[in-house]
Amino acid sequence: MAELLQYVITGISVGMVYALIALGFALIWKSSSVANLALGQIVLISSWFTYAMLVQARFPVWLAFPLVVLFALGLGWAIERFALRPLIAQPILALITVTLGIGYFIEGVVTFIWPWSVDALPRLFPREVVHIGPAVISQEYVWVVGICLAVFVLLTLFFRYHKMGIAMRATADDQLAVQACGIPVTAVFSRSWMFACVVAAVGGILIASIGGITHGLVETGLKAFSVVILGGLDSFLGAVIAGPIIGLCESLGGGYLTPYLWGGVKDIIPFVIIIIVMVIKPYGLFGEERIERI
Amino acid sequence: MSLPSGTRNYTYAQDMAILRTKTHWALFIGFLALLLAAPLYLGNYWLGVANLIGITLIAATGLNLLTGYCGQLSIGHAGFIAVGAYTAAVLTNRFDQPFLMGLLCAGLMAGLIGIIFGLPSVRVKGFYLAITTIAAQFIIIWVINHWSITGGFVGIKVPYASIAGFEFRSETSQFFLIISIAALCTFFAKNLTRTRVGRAFIAIRDNDLAAEVMGINLLYYKLLAFFIGCFMAGIAGALLAHWIGFLNAEQFSLTESILYIGMIIIGGLGTTIGPIFGVVFIRLLQQILTVEIVPFMESTFTMFPAGFATGVTPMLFGLAIILFLILEPRGLAHRWALLKSAYRLWPFSY
Repeated sequence: MAELLQYVITGISVGMVYALIALGFALIWKSSSVANLALGQIVLISSWFTYAMLVQARFPVWLAFPLVVLFALGLGWAIERFALRPLIAQPILALITVTLGIGYFIEGVVTFIWPWSVDALPRLFPREVVHIGPAVISQEYVWVVGICLAVFVLLTLFFRYHKMGIAMRATADDQLAVQACGIPVTAVFSRSWMFACVVAAVGGILIASIGGITHGLVETGLKAFSVVILGGLDSFLGAVIAGPIIGLCESLGGGYLTPYLWGGVKDIIPFVIIIIVMVIKPYGLFGEERIERI
Repeated sequence: MSLPSGTRNYTYAQDMAILRTKTHWALFIGFLALLLAAPLYLGNYWLGVANLIGITLIAATGLNLLTGYCGQLSIGHAGFIAVGAYTAAVLTNRFDQPFLMGLLCAGLMAGLIGIIFGLPSVRVKGFYLAITTIAAQFIIIWVINHWSITGGFVGIKVPYASIAGFEFRSETSQFFLIISIAALCTFFAKNLTRTRVGRAFIAIRDNDLAAEVMGINLLYYKLLAFFIGCFMAGIAGALLAHWIGFLNAEQFSLTESILYIGMIIIGGLGTTIGPIFGVVFIRLLQQILTVEIVPFMESTFTMFPAGFATGVTPMLFGLAIILFLILEPRGLAHRWALLKSAYRLWPFSY
């Protein structure tokens, strides 16, 4: 019982991080229909940047985090401005592959600056364990869930009440009409990339503070795609619901299936879910099915 | 048509021929002679590079049929190559099957796996398909790493290729084997794209709904594209296995898959000559970087932490993919066509 509860809680908290990273994807997809496959590498480079601020430059946390957010904003702006804007209105193949190229480039930059490729972030959360029922949970998981929920609430409020948020939603709905209303569409694209990078960076820091910074963070970013697929590409709610589902599947499956299957089954469960969803319900739980006309 | 003026057709066969003029023939034979004489003027080292280029070309040609002609983006190509490589390795190493048997089975197996992971392509496309193929890549590599028959993380030894008692031991003999198969694949791809199948692929790429309305069976042709593309990947994998002699799943990473996409983009999507340019460009760049530039940078800039220069290779490749997409989306093949027409029309501009 205690074991089960432990799996459930770690699963939910890791799933929340996936959901957070997935939100970063949905933000861009909703406003500009660009599928950002460089998500994993963005997560990777922002966690390394956090490492550089906290460990290499020895900045205190209150200074380091605003710098990380600034870095993520700059990264998002640069990607949009230099790689995506010249490709507006290009076929989807070009838009997907350019993000692959960006990912490749970022991976090179990471290897260039931090070639030792594995390191640990300093502990960001208190060490004491908490007891939930019979289970003993490391406190960081609770913090992770809390921070993720806070970010969700912030984003939801932003999209509901802030002028830019409303403009973003409108852009997602109909780009031509939005342009006719005088909303600068390119600025909306730019902002959505900036926000997406910040969200991905937060997700990256959270997961790196638990598991350390490794190249596996790229895979974490890719696993977040299973959340996107299951929840539906253009749905925030879908991402928030699908995240914990994927996390639960991963931790429960990893916990109970490993003795029966080969080891490391945990790592491919999200990918198996992708295939299953693709075959059964390709547009996900909450995604909008696109009806195409010739 | 990009032909010199005065070239006339008297029969349909003449109209359809790939090589039209005497100059074409002369250049083609000259190129073949240059290629086949490569062992005479290339050292063992560069011959190895040529072999790698040949193997990569086979796989890239398959991917080009799948992505460049049929428009089905596959980011798991290295996974399908791994399927072929391991099929050949297991058959020849564990079951003592002959090389040709292993080669054929490798192609068929990779094609079959390709069809399985290509099934979602019937309902989804674009980003969804890209994600499916990424998932395929991870699942394939995981199975290879954990199944005992493949040698798992330890890896598996592969014997030399041999046909009717002749063993392909030296780089030279392997060069002829690989180059002849690569030439066959390129010839096949060139001709396939001019048949009903190739035209159906192009129709699906340009607009799959319109293609369906025209009477093209989407299920059949999309899966056929996956089969052919992955079959070639499997063949390339088998040749790679026999050429390297030792397999480990590390060789078939996701970055390798992305590199294949990069090759066909840099070369030019949807052209037969494109993969050749792309593969030669990427593999030569990779070779020069890893052998010359990275060690040079490591020894020159000692103030940076060790190993930093290995990041230069992915940085340059990523940059190349981005720049080609932005500045020359039709790839080197388009530049080549421009060059040819400039030569033909000289001294006039058009």
